Amino acid sequence: MQGIFILALAGLTSVGAYFFGIGRLGLSSGSFGAAIGKMLEAVGTTLVFLAVNLAMAVTIVLAVRGVTGSFVSVYVTDDAVWMGLSLLQGLTFQWWRGLSGKPR
Amino acid sequence: MGHLGDRICSLIGLAGVAFFLATAFSPLASFWDLWTAVRPQLLPSDAIVVLAETVSPSGLLSLESSRRTNHGIDLYRRGLAPLLIFLGGANDGGPTEAEVRAELARLHGIPSEAILTETTAHTTREEAVRVKALLQSRGIRTILLVTNSGHLARARPLFERAGFEVRPVPSDTFSDPDAPEERLALMRVILKELLGWFYYRVAGYV
Repeated sequence: MQGIFILALAGLTSVGAYFFGIGRLGLSSGSFGAAIGKMLEAVGTTLVFLAVNLAMAVTIVLAVRGVTGSFVSVYVTDDAVWMGLSLLQGLTFQWWRGLSGKPR
Repeated sequence: MGHLGDRICSLIGLAGVAFFLATAFSPLASFWDLWTAVRPQLLPSDAIVVLAETVSPSGLLSLESSRRTNHGIDLYRRGLAPLLIFLGGANDGGPTEAEVRAELARLHGIPSEAILTETTAHTTREEAVRVKALLQSRGIRTILLVTNSGHLARARPLFERAGFEVRPVPSDTFSDPDAPEERLALMRVILKELLGWFYYRVAGYV
């Protein structure tokens, strides 16, 4: 029930934003699909950063264990902050590419 | 990064968004949890082994640690084994998890001579090795292994490899969360245990 409410509300504000963008801001409805594509690219870049961050964290933990013999827990990767930081990295990287004219 | 990179990122993003929505707004996590759930084998055994989770520096057991501890105590009180082994080290100089658990068991009327503690293991693999060393001289062969269901997938083969006949006893009961946040939390636990199992598999531990 809670899920349906959240989903319906987010859908409602999305539809509202769509019509607000077209009616008041003069945005093109034709570029809406491209905007969704950009959103997916940003999410994808975020997930790539997340995977690289976690893989590097595990590698470093295992290396420290192997070199020093002291115990460092792999559970350092079990923290929601990795997702937040990866999101910042992914968004910044995507914006940087966009503002630089996406060099090939 | 060119067009191909963009396309790959878009596909990863699409998969991520679809997985997120399916997890938050459908019973996907519950189905997965049910599919991987381990059935408890409540048979009379030589010992009950309660695996570690976490304890705070002030000596407060985590929710999962309390759940496992209470489950172990319950199994003992039901007469399923005469010996209770608690595992778990200290966190930032506080009391060890095993000692906090043992104290809790004593408060529940379990005699001190029926409780053993192990406080030095850091990983599940080390727990199996240390428990083997602890119980070998006592001739213990069959154990009731208490931990959460997802963890049992890699804990069980480790203890079997250590020479025990393992009767798995999941500390968590099947949950069917309705709220999106709870579903995401359940999926996070499932994925964490899946990655842990994968790592142990690649490393050749299980």
